[in-house]
Amino acid sequence: MKKKLLLITAVTAFMNLNAQLSFTTQTVPAQGSYKMCVVDMNGDFLDDIVSVSSQNINILFQTESGFESADFTTSSADNMPGWSLAAGDFNGDGYNDLVYGGGGGATFMISDGTGNAYTETSPGDYIFSQRSNFVDINNDGHLDAFICHDVEPNVYYLNDGNNNLLFHQGGLGDYSTGGNYGSLWVDYNNDGLIDLHLSKCGGSEARYTDQLYRNNGDGTFTNVAAEANMDNTTQTWSTAWADFNNDGFMDAMVGVSSFNTGGHKLMKNNGDGTFSDITIGSGFDNFPHTSWEYVPVDFNNDGFVDVFGSGNKVMLNNGNMTFTPVNVPFSTSSIGDLNNDGFIDVFDFGEVHYNDGNNNNWITINTIGTESNRNGIGARVELYSEMGMQIRDVRSGEGFSQMNTLNTHFGIGSDSEIEKIIVRWPSGIIDTLENPELNTTLVIVEGEHQMGVNEIETHLFSIYPNPVKDILNVQGKSLENSQFEIYHLTGSKLMAGKLSNGKINVRHLNKGIYIISILKDGKKSNLKFIKQ
Amino acid sequence: MRIFYGWIILAFLSIHFSCSSDNDGLPEEAEEISPVNLDLNAVPYPKLSDYNFFKMPFSDMAPVYGVIPYEPVSSLFSDYAHKKRFVWMPDGSSATYDTDATSFEFPNGATLIKNFYYENVLPNNSKKILETRVMIKLSDEWLFANYIWNETQSEAFLNMDGSYVPITWNQNGETKEVNYRIPNGAECVTCHNINEVPLPIGTKPQHLNRNYNYDTGTQNQLQKLKDFGYLTDFPNQINTLVDYTDETQNLELRVRSYLDINCAHCHSENGFCNYRSMRFGFENTEHPEHLGICILPDEDISPWTNGGDPTHIIKPGNHEKSVIYYRLNTTLENIRMPLRGRTLIHEEAVNMISQWIDSLEDNCE
Repeated sequence: MKKKLLLITAVTAFMNLNAQLSFTTQTVPAQGSYKMCVVDMNGDFLDDIVSVSSQNINILFQTESGFESADFTTSSADNMPGWSLAAGDFNGDGYNDLVYGGGGGATFMISDGTGNAYTETSPGDYIFSQRSNFVDINNDGHLDAFICHDVEPNVYYLNDGNNNLLFHQGGLGDYSTGGNYGSLWVDYNNDGLIDLHLSKCGGSEARYTDQLYRNNGDGTFTNVAAEANMDNTTQTWSTAWADFNNDGFMDAMVGVSSFNTGGHKLMKNNGDGTFSDITIGSGFDNFPHTSWEYVPVDFNNDGFVDVFGSGNKVMLNNGNMTFTPVNVPFSTSSIGDLNNDGFIDVFDFGEVHYNDGNNNNWITINTIGTESNRNGIGARVELYSEMGMQIRDVRSGEGFSQMNTLNTHFGIGSDSEIEKIIVRWPSGIIDTLENPELNTTLVIVEGEHQMGVNEIETHLFSIYPNPVKDILNVQGKSLENSQFEIYHLTGSKLMAGKLSNGKINVRHLNKGIYIISILKDGKKSNLKFIKQ
Repeated sequence: MRIFYGWIILAFLSIHFSCSSDNDGLPEEAEEISPVNLDLNAVPYPKLSDYNFFKMPFSDMAPVYGVIPYEPVSSLFSDYAHKKRFVWMPDGSSATYDTDATSFEFPNGATLIKNFYYENVLPNNSKKILETRVMIKLSDEWLFANYIWNETQSEAFLNMDGSYVPITWNQNGETKEVNYRIPNGAECVTCHNINEVPLPIGTKPQHLNRNYNYDTGTQNQLQKLKDFGYLTDFPNQINTLVDYTDETQNLELRVRSYLDINCAHCHSENGFCNYRSMRFGFENTEHPEHLGICILPDEDISPWTNGGDPTHIIKPGNHEKSVIYYRLNTTLENIRMPLRGRTLIHEEAVNMISQWIDSLEDNCE
């Protein structure tokens, strides 16, 4: 099934005169027709390159020495991702699943529990799909799928917990003839509930007026766009949502696909449920390009989120709510860390543009939900360092069409330490980690770092490194000769033995998420780790 | 008045009463009444035959009295499907002319019937009717009803869910195939709307002002409709499209005609794609900018053009630098145009438009 491939690469350097940001381009053999996804597919949390065709999912798995290509044959997909693709662990088996948003409906590719095969499921409901997302809409711990409808009210498939797709239409963007292009799930009012912003376009003004659905917490949503000053009437296919000024609230860069009814808007979140238009002087007022794709990301790890997707430009965040365009060799593309160096890279149309990086410090966080959905989609991650607080949401489906990494990435500029990281999970659980290591990947499992919970009782031990490649080190009081067991997430016991010098060789384990269980004095304690 | 000198049907019975009632003792000459059955409170009917639009055998699509065939000068490309179109109106009612470029103002109960079929369908080289789309004017809105034909071609059933039918057929010695799309109800309004109000497309005077070979002889379609009582009047001069398949016609007019019937329903002031600058209605395309000539595109589709790197919607003199060429010459759903109604490339149209673009003088600034 999996064939190793020696990648012959044509490398071209793309240096930017600005020198703030530069990329090196390399061709990769992505085989699928639709090259629009960067996300981890084998559970090791390293971003892979996914390209799909009607009967095939081609994955370029990231390894230490480059990519390994593998093809996964499927039955013929009824719908292809002509309009969008999203990824998320819908069935919670530790492997991400895919949804293809096609002009006639949606097709799901669901992993088989081992990551070795995918089952094609096409529910058959008519959807003129636009942006698709995986998100836990009803906060029951199971990922659902939301799909923007171009010509009808939006639709979503609720996951009943047994991986059944239950079709719903209504309540989340109900304009009768649609006009829904970009759905972006974001907690705009910091109440811990995920809200929905809709970028809209075309037809009458009522059809193309953007909407903002506040999550009421009781399963209902209310369009508060007018009172929030987010009822923009620009022709918009996607909006980049991020805390551009690091004040703890998500702002919005409303990008246009056409200047027909107005230009780009930068909307500052006032923190009271309203937004202010601060476009003038921001750089977006003079940004002459249009696009369907506007995506937030910190490319230069300076701790301020940039925007890209249009005009082969990155709008670099100057840190004061102004942005400066920088030439780059890409517009619509998928992003993730494709060489695990802590700088976000770009994949488009068979090419990887490697971010040449700089000396700024960073941290990447892998969220593993337990009470919440497996990916932790919808979780709010806060990072505190000398420069202040930064926030991210774990999101599946940003911009208009592409799928980007599900790993949470922060740059912290020249700050030399991180005071703490807080993860606020959709379940309500809050994990706090103090003084994490810099310039590496940190795995945060939901519920393992709750304040006020007795650390000794919950965790007899700690482990490092995590993710692990070869030797897992176990630390704790008097653990020598304690019984340990290692399970796959699916429950199968793969290893058992007695601790010796606190080291366990896990080199032979397949990539994925595992649970290590240690028994001491009649008490059992578990931790999760990632094998890369 | 629709006078018919032949057999006669009693007229004063209820509309629900069978039309095959005893006609003994009636006068020799009388108005013929259309046998079409249309109760505005009961439509859409579950079966196409319920309307009684066609004589038996049903699959011949031979219209009954009062159901008048028509054909636009230039037609929408629908993956090479053939079409037979008909119009019917309730007795005593008629449509009125508005402008050359707007659909007639139709009376309540007016019905448009459009059959989609393929000839020489393999393996038997037979005709296969796939669907019949019916539009009925109800008070102030148009109702869409789609009927899907059965395998034996004896009946078609109301179905608004949308589906795909794989078809392989022989076209001029060439085998072609398509996974033919029968639209979902919501797809209809994507094209069939102005200001989001459902409307017909191909019933504008500029589309219908042409001759048609009726059973009774060749006649101008507008005149026929007027003579029959379906149209109150129409002007002598109508700014009319040309048949884009007619190579004896002026190339630019052919291209403008193609863009009108295939593209103008969205690319108009009040269509779903009103936010792009193109205005493809025939009445607008005398102006180069409405065609996209020398206009920069909003969306950069160059990544999907295999290095084509188009610079303008239409770059005069160079179709390979024209976005429109790549929009037409692709099956990728995210960049293809039109969005709806085709999954195949209309090769003849791509050639025609390329030829026209290449004939233009490059005068972009």
